[in-house]
Amino acid sequence: MTHAEAAARETAPRLKLSTKDGLLGALLIAPTVLIFCAVIVYPLVSAIYLSLFSIYTPTLKGSWVGLDNYAALLASGEFWNAFWVNVVWTVGTLVLQVVLGVALALLLHQNIVFRSLARSLILFPYFMSTVVAVLVWRWVFNDLYGILNHAMMWMGLMSMPLDWIGSMPNAMISVILVGAWKYFPFVVISVLARLQTIPDHLYEAATMDGAGWWGRFTDITLPQLREVLFIVILLRAIWDFKEFDLIYLLTGGGPVTATQTLPLLVYKQAFALNEMGGASAVAVLMMLFMLGFMLLYFRYGRATES
Amino acid sequence: MTKQTFTRRSALLGAGALGVAGAMAGTKPAGAQGGVTLRWWSTQSVPAQLEAYKFQIAQFEAANPGIKVVFEPTSNETYAAQLAAAFASGQVPNIVTHLPSFAVTNYWRNGLLEPFNDVIQMVGSDKFYPDANRIYEVEKGVYGGAGIGGTAANTLWLRTDLMKKAGIEAAPRTWDELRAAARKMQGGGIYGAPLPYAKNSMTTLVFICFVRLAGGQVFTPDLEVAIDSKEALNALEFYKSMRELCPPGATGYSWGESLTAFVSGATATGLYTGRVLANVVAQNPRIQDSLAAATYPSIAASVPSWTFNDFPSIFIPKAAKDMAATKKFAAHIFAPEGYIKQLHAAPGHVLPVLKAIADDPRYLDNPIISKYPKEVKLMAENSAAGFNLGFESPRHKPNLKAGDVVNSGVIAELVQRVCLNNEDPKKALGETAVKIEKIVKG
Repeated sequence: MTHAEAAARETAPRLKLSTKDGLLGALLIAPTVLIFCAVIVYPLVSAIYLSLFSIYTPTLKGSWVGLDNYAALLASGEFWNAFWVNVVWTVGTLVLQVVLGVALALLLHQNIVFRSLARSLILFPYFMSTVVAVLVWRWVFNDLYGILNHAMMWMGLMSMPLDWIGSMPNAMISVILVGAWKYFPFVVISVLARLQTIPDHLYEAATMDGAGWWGRFTDITLPQLREVLFIVILLRAIWDFKEFDLIYLLTGGGPVTATQTLPLLVYKQAFALNEMGGASAVAVLMMLFMLGFMLLYFRYGRATES
Repeated sequence: MTKQTFTRRSALLGAGALGVAGAMAGTKPAGAQGGVTLRWWSTQSVPAQLEAYKFQIAQFEAANPGIKVVFEPTSNETYAAQLAAAFASGQVPNIVTHLPSFAVTNYWRNGLLEPFNDVIQMVGSDKFYPDANRIYEVEKGVYGGAGIGGTAANTLWLRTDLMKKAGIEAAPRTWDELRAAARKMQGGGIYGAPLPYAKNSMTTLVFICFVRLAGGQVFTPDLEVAIDSKEALNALEFYKSMRELCPPGATGYSWGESLTAFVSGATATGLYTGRVLANVVAQNPRIQDSLAAATYPSIAASVPSWTFNDFPSIFIPKAAKDMAATKKFAAHIFAPEGYIKQLHAAPGHVLPVLKAIADDPRYLDNPIISKYPKEVKLMAENSAAGFNLGFESPRHKPNLKAGDVVNSGVIAELVQRVCLNNEDPKKALGETAVKIEKIVKG
């Protein structure tokens, strides 16, 4: 290689190391971006797009209606009823999950007999398939053969079997109870994990200062659990708000529309009324409600923290 | 010779390339495995029926090497949603059986079905009962599907031992008699009737029976909405009055729960097809000699009875793959040996649509059919004269929107509003009529 050739090569445009790293970075992150687009962006854009049409579900054929689906929904009593039912269900089951979850986590944090076994068994409802869980509960609630009615009649609490899932307010109470039973283990494991990292000396110091169990709980345990509870409540609120299978299988949204939440309304619009556009509009509105809730929640979280 | 270096970057690139190569190697073009797989959906799938289907499938697969048939159960309450999703995604089954006839006309109207004429020809159109497939003639000379059986879904089942105990001598003929009989027989842990009050298709279909039994109609013969009538109001009032004679959990009853309530002995009367016979014999033989079937009573002796026959169907989605094999299998379902096994799986529940089968000694040679000849005969007669919302009377035009009306659940909601929520029946009926009107026009 002559000196001139070497000089020419040195002056030729070459990619800098930082540019190469940047390209490699983009290449490596590309699969994640593609997957994100496929599983998040595409369905989201599709749902918004579909909500602007009147579409017959089996054929997916339809016509452009613009914002008519939204206008019809916002003007319909059924939509607002479903929204209210959704709020009642979410708040009811979430409160029970958190109270029950924290209480049991505190219990399982103590030195009790068979603690390991109890910690394993507590997860059982969470691991159980929803279909199986609902079948079991339907059997428990059954008017003719269910153990609940039999037990209550045997104890003399009532003379005739009670309709647990077909009349109000029993149906809503039953759904909330079953939901709390199914999902409280998530709160238990999250809170228990955090409880195990709270330093013992905090409790020892508080005890020496004369704090009782309630004082230790409110002044040490609860503040230490604040962060984990913040996340747990956020996640469970999102999951409970969009819960479908448990409610659908237990009551089908009835009686009439007394337990019909927004996800059940989506299903009804899409597959009972074959109105995919209307169903998509409900789904989009659900997403907006959740977004609004999360923004408020984060703002509240930050305010409390500061 | 240059020195080879192995950096983290080259390792990542190599790993990525290996991943892509691995993924490519694991991908085979569709159809590369060869063979044909047919998917068969049905709403009828109790164990005895599954056995019969297995037999039919094995016979077909043995005669047609390279073709595999997979059975997938669906249900009366879920088929509409499952098929809507299947049609929308293009992942349709090859054959669907036992759906009510109005589902066929509904899907045909939307261009989703393959004409069934070839299959009818393969079976032999002269082998069907005359007019058995008239309801499926969706266009002149074109059939959207065919009947696979007949049913008498609102047969009134009675416990003769309880009737005797209550001093009831004959089967009730009118609603007043039915209510009085149910009231007399109720007690000691036994309820009068297992009528459904749930938010499901059974409630819709059964209440349509009551509207017809009151002398009313849901649609006029020209398919104008006619449910907002005095007759429908009478039906609602009677249905509401029966609530106290039904188990508390009837608010969640579908076909299965209603059947079990009667078979287990929890109710004195029942409303179901002939499946009652096989279930009583197998599950509660204690009452097998105290069973009687009757035509369901109407509001008054002057109002003729109306049997709900959902005309269980067989059809092929247009988007089904391997159409020749699909049609061949559809015709095979009617082959006598397997078809009789299907019918015997629930004797009296699904009644034959082929003339030769009804008289076939192999069909008649069944312990349940032999034990209850009077009941089976009654159901066969009622089924032959039966109707449903897609075909309300001989004067009615075929109702292509019947499936949409049933699946929408508005009629079940009407029942719940009036019978459970004590809403004003007149107002609820008027609002329901408007909703049905909207569905029909939509």
